[in-house]
Amino acid sequence: MALLDVQNLTMHYTTKKGDVQAVDDVSFSLEQGEALGLVGESGCGKTSVAICLLKLLPDNARILGGHIYFKGQDLVPLPEGEMRKVRWKGISMIFQAAMNSLNPVHRVGDQIVEAILTHEQISEEAARERVVELFKLVGLDPERMNHYPHEYSGGMKQRAIIAMALACNPDIIIADEPTTALDVIVQDKILHEMDAIRKKLNMGMIYISHDIAVIAEVSDKIGVMYAGKLVEFADTVTIFKRPVHPYTYALMHAFPSIKGEKRELQSLPGEPPDLLNPPSGCRFHPRCPYATPQCEREEPRWEELEPGHFVACWNPLK
Amino acid sequence: MEAARVRYEPLWKVRLRLWWRSFLTNWELFRESKIGPIGLGIIIFFGLLAIVYPILMATVWDPAIYDPVTGYDWEVPMHPSPPSTKHLLGTDPWGRDVFAQLTYSTRAEFFLGVFAAFITVFIGTLVGSISAYYGGFVDTFFMRLADVVMLFPMLAFLIVLSAMMDLNLYSLAVVIGIIGGFGGITIILKSQALSVKVKPYIEAAKVAGGSHFHIIVTHIIPNVLPLSFLYMMFNVTGAIFTEAVLSFFGLLNIQMSWGIMVEMANISGYLIGENVTRYWWLFWPASLSITLLCSAFYLVGRGIDEIVNPRLRKR
Amino acid sequence: MRKYLLKRLLQIVITLYIYLTLIFIILQAQPGDITDLYIMNPKIPPEAREAIKHQLGLDKPLFFQYLQYLKNISTGNLGISFSLYPRPVWDIIKERLPRTVVLFLVAYIIYFYLGFQLGKIIAWKRGGFIEYSSTVVGVFLWTVFTPWWGLLLIYIFAFKLGWFPIGKFIDPMIWRNFDISSNYVFNMILLVGGAATLFIFLTYVTARRFVPRRTAKLATLGSLLLSLGVIGWLLGTTTVGYLAMDILHHMILPVFTLTTIGFGGYMLLMRDSMLETIREDYVMAAKAKGLPDKAVRDKHAARNALLPIVTSFILALATVVDGGIITETIFSWPGIGLTMLSAILEEDLPLAIGALVFTGVFLLFAHLVADILYAYLDPRIKYG
Repeated sequence: MALLDVQNLTMHYTTKKGDVQAVDDVSFSLEQGEALGLVGESGCGKTSVAICLLKLLPDNARILGGHIYFKGQDLVPLPEGEMRKVRWKGISMIFQAAMNSLNPVHRVGDQIVEAILTHEQISEEAARERVVELFKLVGLDPERMNHYPHEYSGGMKQRAIIAMALACNPDIIIADEPTTALDVIVQDKILHEMDAIRKKLNMGMIYISHDIAVIAEVSDKIGVMYAGKLVEFADTVTIFKRPVHPYTYALMHAFPSIKGEKRELQSLPGEPPDLLNPPSGCRFHPRCPYATPQCEREEPRWEELEPGHFVACWNPLK
Repeated sequence: MEAARVRYEPLWKVRLRLWWRSFLTNWELFRESKIGPIGLGIIIFFGLLAIVYPILMATVWDPAIYDPVTGYDWEVPMHPSPPSTKHLLGTDPWGRDVFAQLTYSTRAEFFLGVFAAFITVFIGTLVGSISAYYGGFVDTFFMRLADVVMLFPMLAFLIVLSAMMDLNLYSLAVVIGIIGGFGGITIILKSQALSVKVKPYIEAAKVAGGSHFHIIVTHIIPNVLPLSFLYMMFNVTGAIFTEAVLSFFGLLNIQMSWGIMVEMANISGYLIGENVTRYWWLFWPASLSITLLCSAFYLVGRGIDEIVNPRLRKR
Repeated sequence: MRKYLLKRLLQIVITLYIYLTLIFIILQAQPGDITDLYIMNPKIPPEAREAIKHQLGLDKPLFFQYLQYLKNISTGNLGISFSLYPRPVWDIIKERLPRTVVLFLVAYIIYFYLGFQLGKIIAWKRGGFIEYSSTVVGVFLWTVFTPWWGLLLIYIFAFKLGWFPIGKFIDPMIWRNFDISSNYVFNMILLVGGAATLFIFLTYVTARRFVPRRTAKLATLGSLLLSLGVIGWLLGTTTVGYLAMDILHHMILPVFTLTTIGFGGYMLLMRDSMLETIREDYVMAAKAKGLPDKAVRDKHAARNALLPIVTSFILALATVVDGGIITETIFSWPGIGLTMLSAILEEDLPLAIGALVFTGVFLLFAHLVADILYAYLDPRIKYG
C-alpha cells in the first residue's frame, strides 16, 4: 500500500468573479522513503495541492471531490479535530518564503517545542532535548534555541524551519519552493542537506517548485502540472529522457544543456490560462503545437502509457 | 497610404470618464461594506433635517412662537411641555419649540464639523506632503510637533482656552481645525506621501524641470487626497463631539446647538433623577442626534477605509 | 532596549517642555496681565497682589517671566488659587490627583483588556452577524454623547436599581466616624494595588527565566491568587479597607462609564490589527503544526496583532484623560478634571493652569510607562 495515494483530487476557490478551478482531477502516489517533485509554472496549482494535503484551506476554498489516502485513511472527509492530529505528525510542511513562518515574538526553540508538545505526551525537558538533536541535524548551533527569529540569518531561518518540519518525525514532508528565497550557493547546499536527511530518516518528500532543474536533482519521481491538472507523471529519468506530453517536452527544452550542442532556446508562446474560465477540452491546447480538434473538444484521459509512466494527452510524443 | 484616423478626444473628457469609472467601482465597494451606506443614510437624514428648518420657518411656522432662541408659546400653559401635534418634540423650560431647536442646530453642527475637519485635513495634507518631500530638518520638526500635539488632552486644553478667549462656532472650528491639523494626521499622511515620493515618476518630473511646488501639488497631493478624505470623516466626528461637550459645560459662546440644548436642560435641573425620563424630550433627542451624527461620519469613514485600505477587504 | 528607553525619555522631556511653553504663550496671549484678574477678585488684599506680581516676575521683561514661570513650575510653585484662596494650587492638586489616578488606572486597564479580548475573539470569527453587530455597537459606544450615557447609567443603576451611589466619591456619613482622610485611603489603594501588580510581574519574569513555561504560568497564577487573597483580607478586616470599599463602591459606575465610552474604538482597532495579522505566514504555519484553534489565535495571531495596537493605545491616553474629565463632571468625582473645569467656571486661572499643567505631566508619565511596556512586548526592541 502506498504511503500517500491521491485520487481525483479537485479543489476550487470561490471568488467574487467566479470559481477558480485551482486543482482538477489530480492523481498521484508516493511510497515510503520516496521523493516526488511537483513542477509547473506559477499558478498551476501545485501549492494548492499541498494545501489540500494538509487541509489548510482558506475560507473560500473547497475540496469538491477526490480522495487523499494517507496510510490507508482518507483525509478528505476527516473532521478538523482528527485532521489536527495528522498535521505535522503525519505530514509536515516547509512553506514558501519560510522566513515568515517563524513568529517574530517567540523564541525559535519554543516554537519547535510547541509543535512537539502538541502531538506527543512528553515532558518539556525531553522536547527541548529533541530540539537540540534537530538543530544538530540541520547544522544549527543548539545554543541558538533561545534566540528570536530576527537574530537569525536567512539561511539559518531556513534550517530552523527544516528542523521544525522534522520535529514530530513525520512520514512526509512537503517542501514548497524550498530554495526560492535563498541565493544560489546556499540553495544547492540546503537542497542536498535536505536530501541527505530524507534518505537517512527514510521519509517521503514532496518538492514543489517551478524550477525543474532544482526538482530533478532530488526527486525520484516527477509530476508535471499545468493549469490545475497533472499532465505527466513518471520517474525522473523518464521525464527527462522520454517526455511524452508536449508541455513537458517544452519544459525540457526551455533551458540550455551544457554538454549538448548549441541550439535555439524554445519557449512556449502564449500565457497560462485563466483558471476562472479554463479552455475547453485539454487545457494546454491553445499553446500546443500538436493540437488537434479532439484536443479542443475533449479532456484527455489520465492513462498509464508504460508501467509507472502516466500522461493525459491525445497525441503523446513518441 | 492613408494615415490612420485617430479619434480626438479632449483631455478633460478622458479624465472625467476615467474618474467616473473609478468612482463607480469605489461606490460598489463602499456599498458592500454595509456600514458605509448606513452612515451615509444617517448623514442624508440629518441633511434633510437641516433643510427642514428654513422651509418650515418660511411656510408653516410663526417665528414668534417657533424661533429656537427667542420664541415663546403662550398658548400652552406649562413649560416645558411634552410633545404634541403643535410641538413635535415639545417645548423647553423657556417655552421654545424643541424640534425647531434641533433642526436649527443641525446646520450649525454640519458646518462646525465639516469646517473644522477641512482645516485639519488641509493643514495635515500640506504638512505631511512637505515633510515627506523635503525630509531632513523640516520632517523632524513637524513629526516632533505631531508627537506633542497627539499627546495633548485636546478637551482639557480647550476648556482652559475657553476662559481666555471667546469661542463661538467659527473660532472653535478654527481652533479645533488648527490643533488637529498638526497632530497625528500629519504622520499618517506623511507616510502616504513618502510612498508616492519614492516612485520613479517623481524623479522623472524633477529631471523634466518641475519645480518643487509643482511636483508637490500635481503629483504628491493627489495621491494623498484619498487618505486625507478618509481621515476627514473621523475628524468631523471629533469636532462635533468636542463642541457638544464644551457646550454642555457651558464654556462656549454659541446661542443654540445640540450641546447647548442639553446644557440648558441640565442647569435648569431637568436632568436629575426621575427627570431623565420624565422630561426626555429635553435631553434625548439632542443627545441621540449628537451620537448618531458622530457615528454616521465614523461609519462612512470605516466604509471608505475598506476602499482605501484593501487589506481589510474580504476577497 | 536601554537606548530605546533613553531616547523615549528624552523625547518625553522635550515634549513636556514644549507643552509648558505653549501654555505659557497662551497665558500671555490674554489681554492685560494676570494680576488684573486678581484685582477683580475681592478676596485678595492689595499687598498680596503686589507680592504675586513680584513672584511671577511680572515686573520684568517677557523672557524673564518665561524663565520664572519654568522655575516656578519645576519647584511646584503654581501660585495661589483664587476660588479657594488662600490655598496654594499645588496643595489642591496634590489632594485631588490620586482620585483621578485611581479612576484612570482602573478604567484604562479594564478598557485595554476588554478591547483586546473582544477584538481578538471577534476578528477570529470572520464575517457574519458578529462582525457586523460588533462594529455597530463599537461605533455607538465610541461616539455616544458621554453626558447622556453617563446620566442614563446613573438613572438605571443608581436611581432606579439603587445598586450604586449617584455621584461623588464617598459617603460622608460613613466617614464621619473615622479620623482618616480620603486622600490617605486613596494613596493606600494605589500603594497596595501597585505593590500587588509589581509582585505578580516580578514573579512572572523570574519564573520565566528559571523554570519551564508551564510551571512559570502556574507560579504567576499563584501569585495573582495570593495577591487577591491578601487584598481581600485587607479590605475585609482593616478600617482603611472598610473605607476603601466605600470608595470602590463609588468608583464602579464612573469606571464603567469611562470604560464603555473608550473601549469601542479600541476593540475595532484590535479587530483590524488581527485581521491583518491573520494573513501572516506564521499564523498559517501555526495552524499547519496542528495547534488547537485557540492557541493559534492567542499565542500567534493576537500576540502579534497587539504590537501596533499598543502604539495607538499609548496615543489614546489623551482621549481617556479627556473622557475622564467628562466622567468626573457627571459623577461629581472631585479629581483633577472636575477641578480644572470648576476653576475655569469660577475664573480661577492659577488653579486651572495648574490643573492643565498637571494633566499634561501625568499624561506624559503614563506615556513613558506605556513605552516601557511596549519595549518589553516586542522582542525586536528588547533584544534588537
